[in-house]
Amino acid sequence: MKLELAEAVALLNLEAMLLDEQDWDGWLALYEEDAEFWMPAWKSATEPTSDPMKELSMIYYAGRSGLEDRVQRIRSGKSVASTPLRRTAHMVGNVMLAPGDSAHPEIATVKSSFNVHVYDTRTKTQHVFFGRTTHGLVRRGTGTGAGLGIRAKKVILANDCIPTMLDIYCV
Amino acid sequence: MTQPPAATDVDRLVDDRPADGWFSVHRDAFRDPAVFELEMRHIFEATWNFVGLDSQVPDNNDYLTTTIGRAPVVVMRDAEGKLGCFLNSCRHKGAIVFPAASGNGANHTCPYHGWTYDTGGKCIAITSQRQGCYPEAFNALEHNLAKVARFDSYRGLLFASLSADVPPLEDYLGDARRAIDLVVDQGAEGIELVPGAVSFTYNANWKFQLENSSDTYHFIPTHTSYIGVLDKRRSVREAASKTPAPAGSIYEDIGAQAASRRGCFTFPHGHVLMWGDNPTMHARPLYPMLPELEKRVGRTKAKWMMYVRNLTLFPNVQIAENASMQLRIIRPLAVDRTEMLAYCVAPKGEPAEARVKRLRQYEDFFNPTGFATPDDTCAYEACQRGDEARVLDWQQGYARGLTTAKAGGNAEAEELGIRPDRSNVGAYLMGDETGFHGNYRAWLKLLKRGVGRE
Repeated sequence: MKLELAEAVALLNLEAMLLDEQDWDGWLALYEEDAEFWMPAWKSATEPTSDPMKELSMIYYAGRSGLEDRVQRIRSGKSVASTPLRRTAHMVGNVMLAPGDSAHPEIATVKSSFNVHVYDTRTKTQHVFFGRTTHGLVRRGTGTGAGLGIRAKKVILANDCIPTMLDIYCV
Repeated sequence: MTQPPAATDVDRLVDDRPADGWFSVHRDAFRDPAVFELEMRHIFEATWNFVGLDSQVPDNNDYLTTTIGRAPVVVMRDAEGKLGCFLNSCRHKGAIVFPAASGNGANHTCPYHGWTYDTGGKCIAITSQRQGCYPEAFNALEHNLAKVARFDSYRGLLFASLSADVPPLEDYLGDARRAIDLVVDQGAEGIELVPGAVSFTYNANWKFQLENSSDTYHFIPTHTSYIGVLDKRRSVREAASKTPAPAGSIYEDIGAQAASRRGCFTFPHGHVLMWGDNPTMHARPLYPMLPELEKRVGRTKAKWMMYVRNLTLFPNVQIAENASMQLRIIRPLAVDRTEMLAYCVAPKGEPAEARVKRLRQYEDFFNPTGFATPDDTCAYEACQRGDEARVLDWQQGYARGLTTAKAGGNAEAEELGIRPDRSNVGAYLMGDETGFHGNYRAWLKLLKRGVGRE
């Protein structure tokens, strides 16, 4: 799929903004129904896990329903870890178009780096999660102006010792 | 004006009056840095600690690093395959010699001045030793990595103690060994840690985690949002399919769980097994193996493998088998800060589809990035902050189940062929809190022993 860098940057910025504004419906709408969301765990100091079917992930969902589950929990008011919700500011940078998978020419691959600042109002403490993200994007509809959807998101969390919790909106 | 209590007056921390049917723990046990210091010296650094699985160091010259109390240690297999456990501290100035969580190599060189050790812990080179103008007194010293005082294993679980004054490991574990067997025997070839470790910290005392593993009472109130997600998944699945699809979690039918029984056994030396018969065992990745298991280990043991079982081996390791199976190591960092290292445990050679199910169940429930553990750890932090109300002395969290708990075993203990110190069994909603008593009886005994020697 042909993709301009500016389009990719705009989509990643939009996703970051929707998460920071806690617009969960807007955020979920960016994801395709069969979107894979994957944050591997680490096997060693240098190597993340590489096969979610055989090795542990920090988060793995084969479809958007996993993300919808997270939003349900966030909104439930019944999760002590989510009430009150932490405030975040996502910083996305180094956005680059990358070679994709030739078996899936309909998916464009975009790489980026992130810092997510997370503030817990209860304890007045803050933390920065950082790492690298690979998005797989698809075109929705045809012609110019057709929107983009997220078909896959893989997050390599560099600082993987989690201070108490990490939710979907912290990366 | 009242004087603050002496830090060494540890008796005041536990109110244990079996004759009156009462037990409680003083909040200073969770908030007083002086108590934490005593715990490090007289518990963690004075008794057996879990340090790893032998399957983590399968090959000659493999090593893994961990801690015992505050002390960094390395567990390694030497060039001949013999396992040893040493302080991970160069004899020269103390630098960590093994910086990674695990690795392999015949020789290991200190990054600072280059002293080199083999995997038997022997110091094989002191940089420029001949030119060093060392006095005889130095040459008379032993330069090898210091061995821990005791190192032993049970069924592939490795334990070490910095103090030689401990019972033999077999006696220390006692009948809690039968609960270890229920884990190890799930695979014909034993168990393994699934690749990928997850660590997390929380800003609260380590004993909140210690207790939580045997705490049935918290599950429904704390994990309501997780239960809600499971409900939704089930209704979506049932709407989509006319034929019943396999359940995603044993907690999917929380009503069935809440109608089942829960019990606990406490053992000498602080170990606890919380158990529950498991009406939704069909959601287990192990469940399809049940016929094979019954043949291999017998019906009773196979049934217990299907049960919910949370095992605490005092003081630093828990093997929890409920929503999935987790091995977690508790590492206290300060009175109000704890680090956890957690692994997904599985029978070796498990079928691929069962492994996937196990992984997804594990990530959902046990990860600090999942649906359940963050609610536990945030609750511990709420306790820690609330316990700063220093005008309050005693917890009220050790009384549930006191009227049914009894000394010795019960019918379930007989089934398992164990003789626990105490046992309890009742309705799920009893939310037994007497299991913790076993933790604290051992805790106090070690503290008193240590303080008495100071």
